Amino acid sequence: MKRKVKQVIALLLCIFLIGGLTACGGSSGGEASSTAEGEGAASGEKVELTVWINGKDSYISPDEQKKPEEEWYINQAIARFEEKYPNITVKMIVSADGETAHQQFKADELAGTAPDMANLWTGQYTYQLEDACLDIKDMIPAEDKENILGWDAVTTPSGKILGYPTSDNQVCFFMYNKKIIEECGLDFENNPPRTTEEFDAACEAIKAKGYTPIVTDEAFPWFGCFIMNYWWAQLSGVDRIVANCDGTQKFADDEGLFKAAGYYRSLMEKGYINEDALTSADSFNRFTSGQAAMTPQVSSAVGDAEAALGAENLGAILPPDMDGASITGGTIGGPGQDIVVSASTKHPQECIQFLSYLNSKEEIMEFEKVQTKVSTRKDVTAEDLNIQEGTATAKLFEYSNNMVFWVDNTLTSDVCAEFTQLLSMVLGGQMSIEDFAADLDNAAAG
Amino acid sequence: MAQKETDKKTGSGTGKLARNQRICAVLSVIPAALIIASVKAWPIIQTVWHSFTNWDGLYKNDFVGLANYRTFISTGLFSKLLGNSLFLLISVPAQVLIGILVAVLLYEKTAGWKAFRSIYYIPQIISLVILGYLFKSMFSQNGPINQILMLLGFIKTPVEWLAKGTTALPVLTICITWYSVGWQVIMILGGMSSIDPQVFEAAKIDGANFFTRIFKIIIPMISSTLTYCVVMSVVWTFTSLFSLIYSMTNGGPGYETMTLDYMVYARSFLKGDQFGFACAVAVVLLIIVMIITFINLRISKAAEKEWG
Repeated sequence: MKRKVKQVIALLLCIFLIGGLTACGGSSGGEASSTAEGEGAASGEKVELTVWINGKDSYISPDEQKKPEEEWYINQAIARFEEKYPNITVKMIVSADGETAHQQFKADELAGTAPDMANLWTGQYTYQLEDACLDIKDMIPAEDKENILGWDAVTTPSGKILGYPTSDNQVCFFMYNKKIIEECGLDFENNPPRTTEEFDAACEAIKAKGYTPIVTDEAFPWFGCFIMNYWWAQLSGVDRIVANCDGTQKFADDEGLFKAAGYYRSLMEKGYINEDALTSADSFNRFTSGQAAMTPQVSSAVGDAEAALGAENLGAILPPDMDGASITGGTIGGPGQDIVVSASTKHPQECIQFLSYLNSKEEIMEFEKVQTKVSTRKDVTAEDLNIQEGTATAKLFEYSNNMVFWVDNTLTSDVCAEFTQLLSMVLGGQMSIEDFAADLDNAAAG
Repeated sequence: MAQKETDKKTGSGTGKLARNQRICAVLSVIPAALIIASVKAWPIIQTVWHSFTNWDGLYKNDFVGLANYRTFISTGLFSKLLGNSLFLLISVPAQVLIGILVAVLLYEKTAGWKAFRSIYYIPQIISLVILGYLFKSMFSQNGPINQILMLLGFIKTPVEWLAKGTTALPVLTICITWYSVGWQVIMILGGMSSIDPQVFEAAKIDGANFFTRIFKIIIPMISSTLTYCVVMSVVWTFTSLFSLIYSMTNGGPGYETMTLDYMVYARSFLKGDQFGFACAVAVVLLIIVMIITFINLRISKAAEKEWG
């Protein structure tokens, strides 16, 4: 009897085990069938794509996050895409932290669980993931290559194109409070400071009125990356900066770096930057509450600043040009984010179809109804979007015609890590520019 | 003869029983040992291996010998980060001493001891990230610390506490001490529960004052508990401050408040693809912690011998 019970139990366990294995096999079978779907997509079979979208500051605006998901632009765009391509469905996964997404993508790629597409940050952030991304250079439609700006943000030094830039051409500039500037007897609308002398004079006038001329949070050197890097690039040129990184030239011999960092520090020494810039974290609130005249910003912050100060009270100026600069009248910028295609995707063509659709003029026009951003499409202008002339946003469209791609994204990862870690010490006068440059050279040497 | 027979029987019986117990013990330990080996030992072995490579977290994984270690030590980064970690160790004697004082007060049931017991433990149930932000705002330019110091006339203008290593590290030390005292109190109270209350009463009758009781009775009698507290605190200070530093200073300005464990994160995940280098830092950290733990244990053994 006992033996029979044991046999029954053993049999049940076997059935349970086989059942479990079958269930597991089912999921791997799913992957296998996914391959089959991929192969069969051309013949009209269903294909499901997964895409990670940064939940903070790309296709989902802070305003949209307060609404139900169905009302988000990106979900509506996906629905329109699925309607146009009924054999493809797109499953969106919101990645809450843009920065962490890079490591998560790397880990998932290694584990074989990466999504088909992922919304990441451009430049070095994406280049580091070169092995995890598909080179889509030969898959991009000619029309897209011609009409979309910002391909350099996703093109590796070896010439691989790792994704599509998102339609958000971030432009760096000084945001200013028109009321304060007028109160200080300045006219930035008609007579913006274009040289460092003029800029210093304007800051002095603002300071004399009791306002902080520039408010910024430099624990992570935002001002450094937004503006100081422009001064550096306009003096040294991007090629020189790249040469410093690859070791063919030295940061320690780069006069442009010394001049740019020297001027950046001088603004702090003269009291033009908030005293607690090295530790503060609320500079934007201080600016929007009228405590400071200017703040270095990017275009995505315009909406919030207009909401706080009123569009009529918000101004934009370019950084002043340094003496002897080879590039003038420009700024730093470019698409800060992209959507890459995973190296392990089984549906590369469908991914390109989706990305191309998302970047089509019609979709960009829809997107701009929800978020006013400087588009990466050449054929979408401020007039197309009915942006009022003279507003900060209209100016940003104008500025986007003369931009140097993000210098920090151009630096190699080792140098960039050292640069962002140490620059605030230069600003605070705790590190000499010579030591800073020597450390960058050490980082470049590996 | 009969007795010998019995002994032999008993002896052989006991031997068999002991052998069975040993086998049973080994078998009991094996599952846990296997789990620990898979979740701890294997990653450690992997980390050691990767520390000799230029691993980028993906497919680049070439053997580079001691290059990562050489870079870490020769650039002066190692001494800077080790110096920071050693500075933060100041909090260990501070938290143990405060912990003893508070534990004795609670043990002797000072007025309100029940409420104080909970109050002292509260920091432990606050997330270190929240605690970091709390201290960051307290020590900010317009924070309450500057306001109070200015009100009392100690300073004339606000101090940027977290903008320089010379002030930021002491602030971190205060924060760590404040956070850890509750844990120390609980551990020390646990150790004190093994002391016979009559010992205290006898000491009091003999006229031993508060500090005499602490230094002549409590510390010698709970030396093994104190050893545990010190070892754990040292290891914790070396390996678990990441979330606090992340929320308070991000390791900055520069590397002024960065510790070895933060560096592991920074080189792996902050703009970095230097997983091989980060593994080398982790291995160095492991070696340091092992050395310090070994020294601690030796000292405590010597102390135990000294105090009996």
